[in-house]
Amino acid sequence: MYQYDAVDQEFVADRAREFREQVARRLSGELSEDQFKMLRLMNGLYLQLHAYMLRIAIPYGSLNGRQMRRLAHIGRTYDRGYGHFTTRQNLQFHWIKLRDAPDILDQLAEVDMHAIQTSGNCIRNVTSDPYAGATAEELDDPRVWSEAIRQWSSLHPEFSFLPRKFKIAITAAPKDRTAAKVHDIGLMIRRGRDGQLGFEVIVGGGLGRTPYVGPTITEFLPANRLFSYLEAILRVYNRHGRRDNIYKARIKILVAALGAEEFARQVAEEWAKIGPEGDLPDTELARIRGAFATTVFDVLPAQSEVFEAAKAADPALARFARNNLRPHKKPGYTIVEVSLKTIGDTPGDATSDQMDVIADLAERYGQDDIRVTHEQNLVLPHVRLDDVPEVFAQLQAAGLASANVNLISDIIACPGLDYCALANARAIPVAQQIAQTFADPDRAEAIGELKIKISGCINACGHHHVGHIGILGVDKKGEEFYQLTLGGSGAEDAAVGKMLGPALPYDKVASAIDTLVEVYLRERREGERFLDTYRRTGVEPFKEAVYADAH
Amino acid sequence: MKALTANRLIDGDVVFWKSGQWVEGFGDADLFDDPAAAEAAEGQAKSQPTVVIDPYLIDLMESDGLWAPLSYRERIRALGPTNHPTHGKQAVGGEVIEALLHADGAARSSGRVNLIKRK
Repeated sequence: MYQYDAVDQEFVADRAREFREQVARRLSGELSEDQFKMLRLMNGLYLQLHAYMLRIAIPYGSLNGRQMRRLAHIGRTYDRGYGHFTTRQNLQFHWIKLRDAPDILDQLAEVDMHAIQTSGNCIRNVTSDPYAGATAEELDDPRVWSEAIRQWSSLHPEFSFLPRKFKIAITAAPKDRTAAKVHDIGLMIRRGRDGQLGFEVIVGGGLGRTPYVGPTITEFLPANRLFSYLEAILRVYNRHGRRDNIYKARIKILVAALGAEEFARQVAEEWAKIGPEGDLPDTELARIRGAFATTVFDVLPAQSEVFEAAKAADPALARFARNNLRPHKKPGYTIVEVSLKTIGDTPGDATSDQMDVIADLAERYGQDDIRVTHEQNLVLPHVRLDDVPEVFAQLQAAGLASANVNLISDIIACPGLDYCALANARAIPVAQQIAQTFADPDRAEAIGELKIKISGCINACGHHHVGHIGILGVDKKGEEFYQLTLGGSGAEDAAVGKMLGPALPYDKVASAIDTLVEVYLRERREGERFLDTYRRTGVEPFKEAVYADAH
Repeated sequence: MKALTANRLIDGDVVFWKSGQWVEGFGDADLFDDPAAAEAAEGQAKSQPTVVIDPYLIDLMESDGLWAPLSYRERIRALGPTNHPTHGKQAVGGEVIEALLHADGAARSSGRVNLIKRK
């Protein structure tokens, strides 16, 4: 992975020192809360219901064992022994004290981490494929581009005070594991007819109050022209974005108002003015690329006898292999998904002890490489098949071996009203109830891929719009109600879900999901996922069943 | 009936007004049945910007013969997150916590709404 050099380290340490001074000035009264709020948010520190929340950047969801162990230590020392992995591949601590925040930033800086670009109207932490560098599907390693964008965008003077926050996702595989089409900019690495690398550029996707699947404004942008093109997009947005209305300030509103064609024309005009001087020198890109080329793989047989024998002897391991392992680009290796969706637990939460276990496993069996997925799970991207039985045993001992990745209990949920100052309703207990309803692993496997995503408010941190089943918590005269949407997808077949019908009360949601699943099982044809069946039948059979039950 | 609440600056903890000081438990909070007294306390609280952030009044309702915040959001603030019953103020237990847990009237936090409007 990318290694900080002395300049990077000094920069992050300076930033921590600066924040220490800012906190002191706030506590002394020299800074008002209004003055301080922007400064703390620039360091990922929010005030939530019970305490401060610190959102720590995990650039493109990639970290090593030392960093994970430090997060575990922070959780144990300054929080309540756990952390929450988010849909932006970051980590949040929910019980932080302002007086401890400077020490925590110092501790992060020691391991090349920080909380920059996790809040504020800047270019946020870039999302990328958690299988980057491990999957055979990819055309290039998207981490190289993600890291280059991180360095380009960190404290970018022109783009630190945009009309609103700005999120970029990059994927290099046909299977989109980044939700690229619902980001402000989605970059999909493509190969041109002449073999040249480039990007399909999607702009103006987004969730929240006004969800859009972003339109493509350039089918093929030569890879070496990426940075001038990004600058042109950001300039057009910075100039014309709606600073007068927070609900209309995201780039998606601008793109929709102008139309994709006109927006693309303005970007092209700006791009011509910037010219190739705005691009990253090849030498710099090569330097960054070099940092990711250090992973060395052994030459191994494609099949591991140790693994095959263990799988045959242990049905639990066989189930784990079916659901949590993915093909690796190198024979004899696999990608291991570690589910943070143990039935009954909080989606995305990991205890400090569990983080330590993951760090140990990464160091011992996984090339010291850990990824966070936008679906709130973790990944060990490079594990030898020979080592899988041992990794599985240690995950089991740590309560991390749920074999449910992509299944119905692998639910995304935002922190909701249990923690978040913006939420209207709880998300976590709804996820827990649904997971418990589908706790039977045989039934979950029979249902197959089904992505449920829950948000506690319209800001959509839980990505409910793009859930195969989306659940949005609303405040209906003070009561928690939940609107269900069907047919969304955040993957390469991205779509915004359609509302099923009137919102349901808190205690009816899990049973409604059960009803939806029964309709799917009744209606589905060979090989169809829930989403496929819904797309074929439309909403009617689902609607009829849920509201017939409700009355 | 109303109580006055805020988050403490130094640690973000939920606090309640009691005789010019801030206490951590809702059970120890001053309860105001006189709107003028409540507003006077709110005014005093706002003059403590290095102690608390955004003080506001919340509406209360009766529960188990005691008083509890009317709004669900405020009850979660006074108790802690529902997914971790041992986290937050609910961990100490007792009759006030029980009353809060049993309160079932749900409504928007009126004080909070005013706060948002003022911004």
